[in-house]
Amino acid sequence: MSKLNDSKKQYNDIEIPTELKQVVSKSVQTVKREQSKKKPSFKKFGIGVVAAAAIFVASVNMNPALAQSLSVVPILGSIVQVVSIQEITIEEDTYNADLKTPNVTGLTNKELENSLNEKYIAENKELYEGFQKEMEALKEAGGGHLGVASTYEVVTDTDEILSISRYAVNIVGSSSTTMRIDTIDKKNEVLITLPSLFKDDKGYIETISTYIKGEMKKEMAADEMNMYWIAGEEDSFDGFDTIRPDQTFSITSDHKLTISFDKYEVAPGSMGVITFEIPTDVIKEELISDYYIK
Amino acid sequence: MTKSEKFQQVENYIVENQHAHYRLAYSYVKNKESALDIIQDSIMKALRSIDSLEQTQYLKTWFYRILINTSIDFIHKNKRMVVVEDEVLDFHLPSQEMDVPDIDLYEAIDHLTPEQKTLIILRFFEDMKIEDIAKMLGVNQNTIKTRLYAALRKLRTNMEEKVKV
Repeated sequence: MSKLNDSKKQYNDIEIPTELKQVVSKSVQTVKREQSKKKPSFKKFGIGVVAAAAIFVASVNMNPALAQSLSVVPILGSIVQVVSIQEITIEEDTYNADLKTPNVTGLTNKELENSLNEKYIAENKELYEGFQKEMEALKEAGGGHLGVASTYEVVTDTDEILSISRYAVNIVGSSSTTMRIDTIDKKNEVLITLPSLFKDDKGYIETISTYIKGEMKKEMAADEMNMYWIAGEEDSFDGFDTIRPDQTFSITSDHKLTISFDKYEVAPGSMGVITFEIPTDVIKEELISDYYIK
Repeated sequence: MTKSEKFQQVENYIVENQHAHYRLAYSYVKNKESALDIIQDSIMKALRSIDSLEQTQYLKTWFYRILINTSIDFIHKNKRMVVVEDEVLDFHLPSQEMDVPDIDLYEAIDHLTPEQKTLIILRFFEDMKIEDIAKMLGVNQNTIKTRLYAALRKLRTNMEEKVKV
């Protein structure tokens, strides 16, 4: 086996092609791009958070000492800020209600904290009362299917921002979904509203609406399964024209603005709740500062 | 370590050791395009399944396993690669009579099965320890030793046969 060293030399002399470097970096980039696209989609993210929240709420409820100790651990401190306080469940044959009410804790601005929490309780109270009324009416009419569910999820939770979305689903034959999001500046402890992000009251509405309409058209052109109702387009007498100042919005953890529409608001129900991420470049001119949105 | 740190570490490793990886792939397929394909495949497989790498200290073992499996798969799948009988080859090639004394171990290695080739390359060309090879291939050390000796024995007989011709 004296030739082994010669063979080894031959092996080490295998010529390295110039393309190798490129192939390597291209392969790495391809996977990188795939994975950044794969960032938790709304749905997936939701289940994870809800599951985590469920376990968490369970442990908080079971063990007051644990909750106490968690709130002093800085990393977990921010999670402690949203927990379920109330869950109403009705299960009668064809009538189902499952209402979860979030509760924000840990803000020093108690006024803000209370107003949010009162709002969440009021929202669910309204859903519950509406459900009861409809259930009575249906029972009198001889029965039917009725369901209501509400839940919440923490969409964004960074050092600066906490964004809580609440979903309400009404099921009467088909279902309708509404989504509301509150975004709180954790450092300054204020509730962020959509108009408060922009310099003047009108300009941003037009800019964002124009952008969204463009995206809708693009998506429709790209895939005929996509369908939006846009005002002024054919087949659409009452389509999307402009966003409202109180349009549902959120700020992502990477400082991007997202705008959401309820099911049926701008598209057929099959499209579900629709969210658009607005590229910061589009609204840069209108923003008051790049503090929240970059 | 966060996932992105791990990804970065794997990426650095892949970039730094690309020459060694290429040589290994090349020694299986003996052609540039196929070797580059194998490299591309292996990198993408590795990065996509980065979760299967539990501890980064086994990074090399883990990546080589992917690289070797990809290479061997490539050979098995690639029907175009036809093993030419020695007689046919000898007939077409320029006369090797003059070369007989220098009969090349390196060429003889090509007559081994891909699995045997792997052992020879890793042990003698890449200077890996039997222990590491065993980990990489998921086989115990004694089995590796046995197979390695079998491969060496086959090499020796191959070479002796050639010398006799």
